[in-house]
Amino acid sequence: MNAIVALCHFCELHGPRTLFCTEVLHSPLPQGAGSGDISGQNEQAEEEEGGIQMSSRIRSHSPAEGASADSSSPGPKKSDMCEGCRSLAGGHPGFVSHDKETSIKYVSHQHPNHPQLFSIVRQACVRSLSCEVCPGREGPIFFGDEQHGFVFSHTFFIKDSLARGFQRWYSIITIMMDRIYLINSWPFLLGKIRGIIDELQGKALKVFEAEQFGCPQRAQRMNTAFTPFLHQRNGNAARSLTSLTNDENLWACLHTSFAWLLKACGSRLTEKLLEGAPTEDTLVQMEKLADLQEESEGWDGSEEEEKPSSQPDVAEGQELSKCSPETSLMPDCNRWNVAHRRLSVFRSLRHMRQVLGASAFRMLAWHVLMGNQVIWKARDMDLVQSAFDVLRTMLPVGCVRIIPYSEQYEEAYRCNFLGLSPHVQIPSHILSSEFAVLVEVRAATRSTLYPTLLEDEQSLNKYEFVVTSGSPVAADRVGPTILNKIEAALTNQNLSVDVVDQCLVCLKEEWMNKVKVLFKFTKVDSRPKEDTQKLLSILGAAEEDNVKLLKFWMTGLSKTYKSHLMSTVRSPTSSESRN
Amino acid sequence: MAFLNLKHWSSSEFDLNEIRLIVYQDCERRGRQVLFDSKAVRKIDEAVIQKMAEDAPVKTSVRTCQASSGNNSISSHNLSISVTQNVKEQIPKYQYTRPASDVNMLGEMMFGSVAMSYKGSTLKIHYIRSPPQLMISKVFSARVGSFSGSNNNLQDSFEYINQDPSLGKLSSNQNGLGTCRSGSNLAHSTPVDMPSRGQNEDRDSGIARSASLSSLLVTPFPSPSSSSSSSSSYQRRWLRSQTTSLENGIIPRCCSSNPAMVRRKKIAISIIFSLPEKEDAQRNFQDFFFSHFPLFESHMNKLKYAIEKAMISCRKIAESSQRVQVYISRVMDALGEFSRITIWNLYSVPRIAEPVWLNMMSSTLEKNQLCQRFLKEFTFLIEQINKNQFFAALLTAVLTYHLAWVPTVMPVDHPPIKAFSEKRTSHFVNMLAKSHPYNPLWAQLGDLYGAIGSPVRLTRTVVVGKRKELVQRLLYVLTYFIRCSELQENQLTWSEAVGEEEQVLNGSKITTALEKGEIEESDYVVVTVKNEPALVPPILPPKNDRSKNHTIAEWVYNPKGTYPVPASSKEKKETIGKVSQNSETSVDCLTSTLHKGATDSGKRTVTDTGAVPYHFEEPSNLEDLTDVRKNKKQNDRKVEKQLSSRSSALPCPERSGHRSSHLEKVTFRIGSSASPESDLETRRREMEENLKVLRENPEVIHCASSSTNLTVDASQNQKESCEAASLPYSKHSICYAQISSCEGQGSMLNNQRMENTGTEVNSENTVPGELLLSVDNVETVTLPSIKETRTSCSGNLEGYSPGCVEVDSAVKKESLKLGAKDVPCGDARRKTPFRVEGDIPRNESSDSALGASDEEGDCCIPDEVRHDNVSKRLEEFAEVELPLPRSNTVSRQCVKNFGRSLLGGYCHTYVPDLVLHGVNNDEKLKQCLLADLLHAMHHPVLDEPIAEAVCIIADTDKWNVQVATSQRKMMDNMKLGKDVLVSSQVSSLLQSILQLYKLNLPADFCIMHLEDRLQEMYLKSKMLSEYLRGHTRVHIKELGIVLGIESNDLPLLAAIASTHSPYVAQILL
Repeated sequence: MNAIVALCHFCELHGPRTLFCTEVLHSPLPQGAGSGDISGQNEQAEEEEGGIQMSSRIRSHSPAEGASADSSSPGPKKSDMCEGCRSLAGGHPGFVSHDKETSIKYVSHQHPNHPQLFSIVRQACVRSLSCEVCPGREGPIFFGDEQHGFVFSHTFFIKDSLARGFQRWYSIITIMMDRIYLINSWPFLLGKIRGIIDELQGKALKVFEAEQFGCPQRAQRMNTAFTPFLHQRNGNAARSLTSLTNDENLWACLHTSFAWLLKACGSRLTEKLLEGAPTEDTLVQMEKLADLQEESEGWDGSEEEEKPSSQPDVAEGQELSKCSPETSLMPDCNRWNVAHRRLSVFRSLRHMRQVLGASAFRMLAWHVLMGNQVIWKARDMDLVQSAFDVLRTMLPVGCVRIIPYSEQYEEAYRCNFLGLSPHVQIPSHILSSEFAVLVEVRAATRSTLYPTLLEDEQSLNKYEFVVTSGSPVAADRVGPTILNKIEAALTNQNLSVDVVDQCLVCLKEEWMNKVKVLFKFTKVDSRPKEDTQKLLSILGAAEEDNVKLLKFWMTGLSKTYKSHLMSTVRSPTSSESRN
Repeated sequence: MAFLNLKHWSSSEFDLNEIRLIVYQDCERRGRQVLFDSKAVRKIDEAVIQKMAEDAPVKTSVRTCQASSGNNSISSHNLSISVTQNVKEQIPKYQYTRPASDVNMLGEMMFGSVAMSYKGSTLKIHYIRSPPQLMISKVFSARVGSFSGSNNNLQDSFEYINQDPSLGKLSSNQNGLGTCRSGSNLAHSTPVDMPSRGQNEDRDSGIARSASLSSLLVTPFPSPSSSSSSSSSYQRRWLRSQTTSLENGIIPRCCSSNPAMVRRKKIAISIIFSLPEKEDAQRNFQDFFFSHFPLFESHMNKLKYAIEKAMISCRKIAESSQRVQVYISRVMDALGEFSRITIWNLYSVPRIAEPVWLNMMSSTLEKNQLCQRFLKEFTFLIEQINKNQFFAALLTAVLTYHLAWVPTVMPVDHPPIKAFSEKRTSHFVNMLAKSHPYNPLWAQLGDLYGAIGSPVRLTRTVVVGKRKELVQRLLYVLTYFIRCSELQENQLTWSEAVGEEEQVLNGSKITTALEKGEIEESDYVVVTVKNEPALVPPILPPKNDRSKNHTIAEWVYNPKGTYPVPASSKEKKETIGKVSQNSETSVDCLTSTLHKGATDSGKRTVTDTGAVPYHFEEPSNLEDLTDVRKNKKQNDRKVEKQLSSRSSALPCPERSGHRSSHLEKVTFRIGSSASPESDLETRRREMEENLKVLRENPEVIHCASSSTNLTVDASQNQKESCEAASLPYSKHSICYAQISSCEGQGSMLNNQRMENTGTEVNSENTVPGELLLSVDNVETVTLPSIKETRTSCSGNLEGYSPGCVEVDSAVKKESLKLGAKDVPCGDARRKTPFRVEGDIPRNESSDSALGASDEEGDCCIPDEVRHDNVSKRLEEFAEVELPLPRSNTVSRQCVKNFGRSLLGGYCHTYVPDLVLHGVNNDEKLKQCLLADLLHAMHHPVLDEPIAEAVCIIADTDKWNVQVATSQRKMMDNMKLGKDVLVSSQVSSLLQSILQLYKLNLPADFCIMHLEDRLQEMYLKSKMLSEYLRGHTRVHIKELGIVLGIESNDLPLLAAIASTHSPYVAQILL
């Protein structure tokens, strides 16, 4: 709690005084707090205390005069401090308590060391004890303003057999800048502070009674000349609170109590604040990392479908572990785009589209989105890697299975992105399959140089890219909706790469949300075909390519999500009753 | 039901007439004067007035009427003063008698006995004990003289009135009624000069902070993570905690002092609530008052404004008795309005019994029913009342302005720990609340009003309609979309007080011994809620040289004579050397354990370690229990006198035990009520932290490591029975165990051991001062240990901490008595349901190395040595370290919060405070909406500047949705605000939810989908904000092709974007 709690005393000789004061320090630690020459600071504090002295203040005619006179007043006068105005002995460093869990420190001194806080506490003390009026003189008051902070003050008397009227006047104040917080905390603070006061009073009463028993002051005073002031001037009249309560450890105790009060008040109310569910991509990445940490002990048989073999996943895993956790945990994995590799790389989808040409890119992207196997044959491993890094951004993380570079053909169920060295033979049925696309990276002849490319892309200029597939996508085929949108985003040069990245995130999440519904509908609830058809049109995905895409993307759903749906969502029959 | 509690606030317990208004002025020349006291006003019988009005000449002074109500555009009342009323106004309606006798006293309270030189406005709250009253006062300066160049509130109003031509020129000679002159001007002639830093202006709210606030906005936020998740909620709260921070001094305010504003008079307005005598009712009102204070204050500002206006307008009335009448009746009207609105309406309007979002968040049991019910209503509305896209428009508006839903759909970048559908509570916000506490009530209020975007807009929604049932359905559904955080109330205790209370609640045995104590004037205790002693006994450090004031002998307590107090620094150093040798092995052990814990079984192991000392010590206690008791008693008697200097005698022995950190943590975990996952997290972190510190501080390692030693063993034995578990440990290790309790835990058995086992004791002696003391500590731990044992006997292992330093002799004594008396084994001292905070040993052990109890050893550590030891941590050791007692936390849902009180139902009248409510017709709205919005903007209840106050009005009779704003006045009288553009995103969302529902997808799945779709909107807003980085205009087609965003989506998406990307507003607005 951003507050200061202080014990104040109205000294018969010196007016209102701050006796003891507990502050809260939050991390990051403020510079210089509690360090340095403590005794020096204390002296300084005392000096100021001596400076802004109530008696002189009251005497001074105009406030301005008083202030200037005070500020130029000489160093601490011993006579300005009596036992009653002092808490910690001179040179005592004060107390500190650490709350490790919260990294909060509670520090107590007689005065705050910070000059501004000093004056705020001083001001609150003066107001609490000599300005504000509380009926019955004992009780709670709230007062304050934006400039000096807001104060909850509770005044009270402490019995003292030697004091005038047999009692001394004190207050415990809580100062905050957050007015509403302080007022909201009134009932709590009142209860706690009253408790503290009660106990202090109880202790003092005991001492008082003992003293009265030993030496009844009233009788004595009746007998001797009634000169309370003279009596007090003797010096021992101004007794410390320690002696009034007969508690040598009073200040330590007050420190702990004030610190506790601050802690308890600060944690009195807590919020339960919900945040959104992680995206599917985040979930899948987390799962992959978790799997990695289990050191690929082998996959559960039931996972065979999605996790066809360990090999691609290990590769994937290395990939994941290569990049720093922060990046890999980013909801959008588009940081993959920014590959810090050598020159021969694709920098973004848009870049790749420029390099390959619109129609070749469209064919490639179509195959990528539908989950067909994408094979890159090239000498340059980095180039292939960068191509995959860029292409994979079109897919949910869970749909990406990469074997970045292999010396032999790998089956489609093991990977949808396969990098091959140029000499590897690809089975002919694959080459003629409509479920695979091959990108061959060949050394470019002079004539096929891409003129549009800039100089820094010389390395790519060395190559020409031949995209082939068993069944080329018909030019008039509409294709999945998302492909068209991606193309639109890539075409529009007004949209920066970052915007395109963000677009991809939106599009993927939008379609993953459709996938979720479809999954729920078909896999969990096993609803009839005609219902599914209805659902697909509700989702705006009734076209053949969209359906295919959804089905492929369904394999990329996170295990977390799937198992949640399987386990906790009730079957539709039980909700039949609704209408 | 939480809602029922609200009903306790109902005004039946509260007499509206018991709200008293006092207006005072304090002028340097004339002294203090009562300007108004509602208690002195007697209303003349209505019938009499009626008669007189009829008799009165029909010729009414219309001019007066216009003049006096000429400023109606601002005032929320007096709008329709009919002619007859004006006639009445001329006829004495009120009789002003002598103010009550207490008025002088109240004046003193309002102004203070010493006048302040501070010129700004001050706020005060007084509690008057008998008869119980609560008085809230505002003191502000009114300047006599010209009105230029000030933003003083009063002057604002003057200026405003000045602009009103009908009012003419104001007399500069302000003259109050002065019906009663206060006789007491005693003390206020010498103003106390308060250190002033130049700001003299009246600042009712935190607007003065705006400058610093915006400068803070420039500095980078500490981001909770790399992603933007929960950032807006987080940042708002962080900012709040920073702007109200005290630790570096307060943030300097802007504003220059205005030399022209020297001569002022002060006006004070006080509202006095007479509190019900019944304690319950009184507490209820106070709870309501203090938790809802921002609303009260806002209305008080309104009242203040009305009073100022009354004072000014009546001044033009020449005839004095009539002037008084006008003044009094104006002020009485304003008071009536105030009472009715704040008290009657806030208390009595119906609330929505089951706000959907809050209930879904808090109750897990009937979640399915909740989902089903909500979805049924939701789809009904989509299907039935979407005429002209009415419902889509309403939802568009609500999502656009009540923005607190946005953080609840921002994707997080960490995996869910709980079940999938349950959203996670924000970890970072939780951490922030701990490390930089802010006011959750304030945060909640801001959420509800949707004031989380940039620029800050404060929004309310009113559903208008004659068909009550329909309006109620709409309100119900909207409570899903108008979101806020749920509040929890936590009771922190350092003793077991609450545990005992819980026992009572659970129907277990009641320990009456608790209640006896020496708390005096126990009428106070009622407020204390729990009877834990308010003074927390410190765990004292050794006295060092610096405190020369005390003779050492006074402090040394050396009960057995076994612990020599090191006298010289030389000795000290030797000691340290030995210790570090000793500890080497332990260190290894520690490290390996931790490693093991971290890698092998992860969190589990780690948490278990927390439990270990408990398992370990408890059987020993068991064995020794009887002996210990006997011995203890003797010891205590002996010791008692020597210890009498000890502080803070605890009246309730039962509660005196400090909880040691570990064990509390254990309890916490088992109690498991709130957030187990974050607890695990916390603990793991602490463990790591601990390890780090241990490595850094060799002298600490010794003690901590020994405890970890135990950890290893104990975890092996954990599943065995307690008795069995105790066997493997040698005495030696036991001693170490207690050393480990540097932080103040330990057990009495240590004491016993030390008596008997010379070698161990000797080895203890070689421990440096800090450690030595901690050993000494052990001596004092009797009480908790006994309790501990008891618990274990009852077979209830959870939640007991064995080692607690109890330093107070008196307590020890009493506790022992108590233990002997009524706590045999098997006493069912269960403390199951509450959670206790505590943790594994952590570097507090190092802290408490210094923080042992003082009573027995005054180990003065020479300064040099200390500095040698800790030079690296000099900063921290500048002050004497006192460990905080370990805390138990009992949490329960807090119902006194805005989420439960500001979501209104179908009300009989328009209530401006409510975030959401329904009304029959828009008559009242038309009357006062604009004034309310302006007021809300000028006196923001959020204590932060707001740019705009907005009200969404959905009229189910006319089927339109309008947005009224404080920023422009609607010229068209028929309309309250601007029509809402229906977002196509929203309407497609509604349609697909409806279709999915019709396809019989289960309700909870539909809601998951709904959340997913809302998340899509958030992502689209992210894209929009990204897009706007490079564009100053939105080419909507570009976005439309790619994302299907249409121009009617832009306001919504821009508003969403403003919660995470403040610059969006600058571009789009």
